[in-house]
Parts: sequence; C-alpha cells; structure tokens
Amino acid sequence: MFLGTIIYGLLNSAVLAVMAIGFNLTFGISGVANFAYGAMYIFSAYLSWTLFNLLELPYWLAVCASIPTTMALGALMYRFVLLRVRGQALSEVIATFGIGLAILELFNYLGFVGFEYTLPVLIDDSIMIGDTMVDWQRILVTGVAGLLVAGLWAFTHYTRMGLAFRGIAQDERTALTLGIESDRIAMLSVSLGCGLAALAATVIIPLGSISPSEGYEVLIKALAVCIIGGLGSTGGVIVASFLIGFAERFTDTYISSHWTMIVSLAAILLVLGFKPSGLFGRQKELEERI
Amino acid sequence: MKSRSIWCCLMIIAALASLMVVGPAGAAEPIVIGVPTSLGFLEGKESHKVVQMAVSEINAKGGVTVGGQKRLLEVSSMDIRDAAPGVPVPEALLGIEKNILEKKPVGIVVGPFRSEALVAGMDLISKYKTPMIGTIAMTPASEAKVKEDPEKYKYVFRNCLNAVYLVKYLAGTMEAINKEFGFTKVYIMHQDVAWARATADGVKKSYFEKAGWEVLEQEAYPTGTSDFSSALMKARSKGAQVIMPIFDMPQSGILVKQWKSMGVPALMAGFISPLAGTDAWKSFDAKIGGAVNCVFEMGSAIASDKLPKSVEFYNKYKKIYGKELQAGHGPAPAYESVYILAEAIERAGSLDPDAVVAQIKKTDRTGIMGRIRFDEGNQVIYGFDPKETAVAAVFQWTDDGKRRIVFPESLADSKIQLPKGLKSAK
Repeated sequence: MFLGTIIYGLLNSAVLAVMAIGFNLTFGISGVANFAYGAMYIFSAYLSWTLFNLLELPYWLAVCASIPTTMALGALMYRFVLLRVRGQALSEVIATFGIGLAILELFNYLGFVGFEYTLPVLIDDSIMIGDTMVDWQRILVTGVAGLLVAGLWAFTHYTRMGLAFRGIAQDERTALTLGIESDRIAMLSVSLGCGLAALAATVIIPLGSISPSEGYEVLIKALAVCIIGGLGSTGGVIVASFLIGFAERFTDTYISSHWTMIVSLAAILLVLGFKPSGLFGRQKELEERI
Repeated sequence: MKSRSIWCCLMIIAALASLMVVGPAGAAEPIVIGVPTSLGFLEGKESHKVVQMAVSEINAKGGVTVGGQKRLLEVSSMDIRDAAPGVPVPEALLGIEKNILEKKPVGIVVGPFRSEALVAGMDLISKYKTPMIGTIAMTPASEAKVKEDPEKYKYVFRNCLNAVYLVKYLAGTMEAINKEFGFTKVYIMHQDVAWARATADGVKKSYFEKAGWEVLEQEAYPTGTSDFSSALMKARSKGAQVIMPIFDMPQSGILVKQWKSMGVPALMAGFISPLAGTDAWKSFDAKIGGAVNCVFEMGSAIASDKLPKSVEFYNKYKKIYGKELQAGHGPAPAYESVYILAEAIERAGSLDPDAVVAQIKKTDRTGIMGRIRFDEGNQVIYGFDPKETAVAAVFQWTDDGKRRIVFPESLADSKIQLPKGLKSAK
C-alpha cells in the first residue's frame, strides 16, 4: 500500500502541476491573477464535449478547435475588460472572478450537469507497477506535465516572444524602453494561460467528469499550488505540486478521504502565516526579511 | 352601403375579440399540478417529463371528472435548484411558495430534491394546504413529522423509496452475496451527505454487524470528489471482497471506472446514481461490467417483464422522447403520482385539499412500481413482492453492456456473477 501511495502521490502531483501551470504563467508575466482560470478549463471541456458528442467531430479535431477557442476567449477578456483595469490588482481579481462566475453559472443555467459530460481517455489501458495497477491516462498526464515544464522553459529562453515574456516579467518599464509592447505581451500571456487550462482539461477531465463546480475546484487547487510555490515561480509550482500531491494521497490513505479537500486550504494558511511570498516567491521577499 | 359594411366588419371583430377574452362558453378552468423541483438535474428533468406524459394521457381521455364536469390538467413547473451545490434552502422554499401563490396548484408532485428542503418546506405546504406527493427527497424525518402532528402535516406524502427501505434493499443484496459466495469483508464508501451517511450506518448496524461481516473501513467523500484511487488501493490491500458505494453525485460513476482500471478484486455492489441508465455504458467507456447497482423504483431507468406495466411505461417514454429513461430515482413515482392525485380528486368529487388528501391516503393502486399504498407516515410501503407492495430493483451490469435484475428474487432475471479475477469464498 505504501508503494501504491507513492505512485499515486506522484501521479496526483503531475495532475496538480498541469492544472496550475497556466495560472502561474499568466501571473508571472502580466501580474494578472486570472480568477476566470477554472471557468476557462470548464469552458474548453464543455466545448470539446459539444463538438465531439453533438456535432460528432473526431475527438482530435474537437480538442484542436477548443484549445484555440479558449485562447481567443482569454485574449478577448484581456482586450475588452482587463486592459481597462490593468495594474489595479483588486479590480483585476474582481473582473476575472466575475467573468468566471458568469461562465460557470451559465453552464449551470443551461443544464450542463450530469454524468454524461465527460471526455474519452486517450489511452484506454492499464499497467501493473509493483502490485499497483495504474491507468495509462494518468501516466500520460505525468508525461504532459514534464513536457509542459520543459517546453515552457525552452520557450522562455530560446524564442523571441518567450524572451519578451521574461523581459516584461522582470521589469515592465525597462522592457517598454526596449520596444516590447507590454499590453500585447500581457494579452498573449492571459491567452496562453487559458490555452494551458484548456490543455489541462483535455488530459485531466477523462479521469473524472465535467461539471461547473469542478471549475471552482480547479481554481482553488491552482491557487493553492501557486501560493505555496510562490506566485510566478515555475520551480515553486513544481515543488508545491509535489507537496500537495503527496500530502493529499497520504491523507487519503492513512487518515481519511474526508480530510483530503482541507489539505490544500490548510497548506495555503500555513504558508501565508510563515512565508507570505510562498516557498520560491519574491514578491514580498524584502518586506519579509525586514 | 359603405357605412353598413364597415359596421358589419366592426361587429364581427368585436364578436371575435369577446370570444378570445371569454373563451368557449362552458369550458372549465384547467386543474393545475405544480412541479417545483431541481429541473436542471437528471432526476428532476425526467420526472418533469413523465408528469407531462401522464397529464397528456389523462387529458387525451377528456381530463379529470370533478363534480360531474370534465376538467383538463395543466402542469406548472418551477426550477427550485435545491440540488445544486451552494443553493440555500430558503431560496428553494421561495420557489415552492412562488409556484403555490402564482399558479395555485391543486397538488404538487415530485417536490424538493434535497431532504433538507423537504423537511423545511413541510410547514409551507401545511400553511397553504397544498397536497404534495414527493418523489425524490428520501429522509424518514418527514414521516416522523407527519406521525408527530398528523393533522398539520397530512398534506405531505412520499411515493418513492426512503432511506429505511434502501437499507433493506442493500442489506438484502449483501445477504444474497453472502449466501452465494460466502463473502464477509466489506469496504464502505459513501458521499458525505445526510441520507448517504444514514444509509451506510443503517446497513452496517442492521445487517453487517448482526450477520458477522467485517467492515474494513467506512469512508465519507465530500460531494464533488472524483479521485477514489487511494480508497481502492486500501480496499485491495485490506482484502475487501465487497465494496459498497452509496453516492448520488454525477462524478461517482468514475469510482466504478477506476475500480475496473485498477483491477481491484472485489465485487462493487451498492448505489451509484449515474450507473442506473443505459447511457452509463457509453459514458463510462464500457468499464462498468460486473457492477451491481440499485434502482430505487421499478420503472425508473429499468423495467421487468415480470411487471408488464413497467415495460409499457419504459417503452412509452422512449417512444415519446426518443430516448430511454436514465434516472434510477424519480420518474416512475412521478408518473404514478399524477394518477394518484387525479384519482383522488375524482373520488373526492371536489378540489378541497382536505377531501383530496383524505382520498390520497386511501390509495390502493397497482401500477408500474407494484402496489401503492401509504402507511401512517404517508410513506409508500415498499417490499419485495410487487403484488403486495411497491418495489425497487437491484441489477448487475454484464461485460457486454446489458443489465440483469438480480434482486429481489420475485423480479430477478439471473443470479449475481463474479467479475473476472474474483473467486467465491465458498
């Protein structure tokens, strides 16, 4: 059982990392805390479901259509709403949370609630690791998590746009003097974050189901991972995913599933109490030292 | 000549207008049946549809006779959203009150989804003296209130399974499993809501403890949980022979899919609402073969040749709506409730709520879910023989996507089969 818990802890960590990386990327670059992130995740999942089940498109085509659509929705949200409140953190949070709420409640209102709302697994098989059976879909999520981290690192270090992203993240004013258009880059970062939410939904939803309430849960988990790791820190996201991922599975196995949902919330409280910037965050590092 | 023809035209228009306002001479007002429930959820959605189906059937025969006059029925629905997470009970009650005050229904069918809303709403029902035949909320607490103050709460009836009878059905299934395979080790998993906790505790106390079973663990899961891998690992390592799930959330079907993917060598037998209908096979990627599941009322999502009326009802729904019933709880009693109410109105000969309630209480009707009679708590009486009582059904998914009724014996098509890799302890 111990080995099984370790294996599922690892797989759970990968799920959390994939869930949170888009939120972290947007915040790290543009400073926008996109509270519509969970809604974008669910929007993309419902869109894939609709294209696949109602319009009967091939699944790969449904996914290929839903990811760019979600990215476009993110870009529109920035262009028409966030641009007007850019730099006012509270207004950004209220605006994105309001948009997210509207999207999720719209699905509730339209009756998108039920067990039939799920996406198919990409690999329908399992393997035995030790005495633990693991399905390939979870292994796929782990692979996607690894590829995402490596891909984002390469993107931000070796591409022109990625370097512009980093420039804005490091110092927006200096980046502006070098001709990097900060509003455009911020819009792209929100859009890319939404695209990553859509990608996460594509690989994670087949392990569960689509429901509007899932949107709130994804947002809470992404927030927990980012706050614990330190907002904007990719390394922090990975470490925090492992911490929460293992803590959840060990709580499940050795305490009770009843307490699992509290793990991430308790971890947020703990970190905020002792190191408000998170494990690898630098936002308030100076104030914390003082 | 010209002014005469203008006058003629005006008179014809005036006559037509008066006809539109007054309606055909002698036509009586329709009798309104209220359906305030969670219409966004499968159980509420399909219950609403079958209520409309029953009303159409009655209206096609001329309607209901009240005081020698035939009157048509009309359905007035209201989405009270009480099943949705985060919707407070007072908001749901407001919906019921709005439905009563605006539409003035002679009776309510289906009613609240969550037991919390039912219990809190009983005072409202009594205040407006509106007979209600509930078909979803399952708490026995409502019966206790009826028994405590029968005069005040006599308007509240329940025509579906309650938690006490569900315990009896699950205990009966476990007894059959024990008799057939000698299994005595169970792992209980349930949703962390009042009715599921009460049901799990009920089966544990009334059957497992008395019959000498070993309850390896009893775990509660918050509504919305969709990863059960840790519990399934525990069940495997502790040597569980039976896993008894009790869930009514959409995500719970994933439990069975994970059970299959992880190859846990234990029989999955209990209640998982998304597993009831035929659509589950496709939704859960054909990974539910071997699971044993309970349907709360015969006719809801499943029918038996041994109860021809259930087959007739099931097929009629499919013909009208082009799809089979998927909700294992709600539709059959909702359909029956319309007939119970209509027959009670005819017997009472008036729409007076006290007279109608007195006649509902005297109901003795054999329909799609067996024989329907109410006890002193206004709860429909359940048992295992459809000739004597209302019946539920426990069925098993086969590996080729079919459903076979395995309990009660009076309706069973076959015996429970063990999934691959699981051996009998006998």
